[in-house]
Amino acid sequence: MAGPTSGRSAENGGHKKRQGPGAFATAYLVIYNVIMTAGWLVIAVGLVRTYLAKGSYHNLYYSIERPLKFFQTGALLEIVHCAVGIVPSSVVLTAFQVMSRVFLTWAVTHSVREVQDEDSVLLFVVAWTITEIIRYSFYTFSLLNHLPYIIKWARYTLFIVLYPMGVAGELLTIYAALPYVKQTGLYSISLPNSYNFSFDYYTFLILVMVSYIPLFPQLYFHMLHQRRKVLYADRKKTE
Amino acid sequence: MDINSVVTEINRPRAQNDSPLSSRRATKASKKKPTKRATVYFEVEILDAKTREKLCFLDKVEPNATIAEIKNLFTKSHPEWYPARQSLRLDPKGRSLKDEDILQNLPVGTTATLYFRDLGAQISWVTVFLTEYAGPLVIYLLFYFRVPFIYGPKYDFITSRHSVVHLACICHSFHYIKRLLETLFVHRFSHGTMPLRNIFKNCMYYWGFAAWMAYYINHPLYTPPAYGDEQVKIAVIIFLFCQLGNFSIHIALRNLRPAGSKTRKIPFPTRNPFTWLFLLVSCPNYTYEVGSWIGFAIMTQCLPVALFSLVGFIQMTIWAKGKHRSYLKEFKDYPPLRSPIIPFIL
Ligand SMILES: NC(=O)c1ccc[n+]([C@@H]2O[C@H](COP(=O)([O-])OP(=O)(O)OC[C@H]3O[C@@H](n4cnc5c(N)ncnc54)[C@H](OP(=O)(O)O)[C@@H]3O)[C@@H](O)[C@H]2O)c1
Repeated sequence: MAGPTSGRSAENGGHKKRQGPGAFATAYLVIYNVIMTAGWLVIAVGLVRTYLAKGSYHNLYYSIERPLKFFQTGALLEIVHCAVGIVPSSVVLTAFQVMSRVFLTWAVTHSVREVQDEDSVLLFVVAWTITEIIRYSFYTFSLLNHLPYIIKWARYTLFIVLYPMGVAGELLTIYAALPYVKQTGLYSISLPNSYNFSFDYYTFLILVMVSYIPLFPQLYFHMLHQRRKVLYADRKKTE
Repeated sequence: MDINSVVTEINRPRAQNDSPLSSRRATKASKKKPTKRATVYFEVEILDAKTREKLCFLDKVEPNATIAEIKNLFTKSHPEWYPARQSLRLDPKGRSLKDEDILQNLPVGTTATLYFRDLGAQISWVTVFLTEYAGPLVIYLLFYFRVPFIYGPKYDFITSRHSVVHLACICHSFHYIKRLLETLFVHRFSHGTMPLRNIFKNCMYYWGFAAWMAYYINHPLYTPPAYGDEQVKIAVIIFLFCQLGNFSIHIALRNLRPAGSKTRKIPFPTRNPFTWLFLLVSCPNYTYEVGSWIGFAIMTQCLPVALFSLVGFIQMTIWAKGKHRSYLKEFKDYPPLRSPIIPFIL
């Protein structure tokens, strides 16, 4: 945007003091993360049980639809945590990550019934489930200052497979939704109307898919970099 | 008023070349050539702020050399870093020195160490504003005249049957022509340049929004305002009032700063009633700017215009708060009644 900020923003150096949350906030965060870990464990168990009972991996979505919606929506609180400062992550980045998943859960999978039968849904559900179980337990143990190495290792390693798997599932699901969205005009607003505004959900979904192209590699390499930093630093310490 | 002139004095670089004191001291130090003006020269070394690598060593720098002059000397050995992209600091992580700062007034010995940071490619502030503002002007007109490949061949170059569409085009063009002329002839900017990459960001914002708004306002399926001429009339009055207000503030800010200087003063209301808003807010030009866009949104009854007003309002509020804070910091006697952008509220 125009002018002044660009000139001024360079001034503040990073002198933020790293300060943990207070006792009350810590207690709350532990509870939140325990509940979220448990929630995603429920989803995992649900998936496995239904798979064993049915003997087929098709249509597993229906068995875990409710807890998936509930706990994925519950992740919105993470944005609040960052916003009020009890979690020291970037609000914008967290919001972006959480919103993109909530979007996929509600605005695609929930809204377009036809895609719920697709196997691609299972692809991202499994990827999310494993990722979230590890991530929330990572936070829980970190808050309690007892982080087992295996969890840290898993958090910074499994994404190498899980992340592309999730992305593939998400993209295939959106792609599968496209013809139905076009056919029904879902969430679309057309002219003329008294707000003089139109919205084409079909085009929007295509743009969302295109936006994965620049974003995915960036995030993936960022994570690889983090991995090297976190895990390599440990190895150095033990030596 | 008295205080203002004092402030002007402080901020203006003092001309010290002919100060009797410094020349007397100089003759004492080297008695050999009393006729030729001799000086105790300073040595300046310039290190990279990140790597601490020595980039340049200047011996024999005049004590009254300004930072701008040192930047010029530095450029001679490193032509790729022209003065505008240099930031020189006393501390690697500290604040940039001003171009007007004078070497011997800085807390350094006769050997000064300065830390250099590359600010990146620079582009003149005026160029940035001209590209930013010429874009929306042209883009809007493309939609207004319905050039081919936008609304379908049936509508090419066919004018809208709604009079408000023509009025909106006049207002939009007027707004950006005003801004272009102000950039050229009214504003006295204190920054010469800004980083090149900002221009991409800024143009995306202004050009993108202009295209988005223009697309709907000039659309063949455009729906005119719900309350008809009444609504349009009120909107035009709001728009024009705020445009005049915005212009008045820009003139007042111009008159606050003598030509060629970079000083900042406390702005006060002048004889022009539009500037009386200075009694209540620090950045009335932003207040009027937001008002103009609200007027335009009411006139066109178009949601994207309302969104543009909202985003502009948020951005200008952030700037106004920053500017308000720096006024409070710089001027002990800053009028306490003022808010940044909206009287008594924000
Ligand atoms: N629609 C939008 O989204 C949007 C966004 C931003 C701006 N605008 C428009 O663009 C106009 C200019 O924006 P801006 O951000 O450059 O406005 P600004 O910061 O208020 O500055 C306007 C001019 O006055 C000078 N000035 C400001 N305060 C001064 C003081 N106390 N003493 C002496 N001179 C002073 C500035 O010089 P410096 O170079 O020292 O600052 C600049 O040349 C706005 O008024 C608004 O109409 C629109």
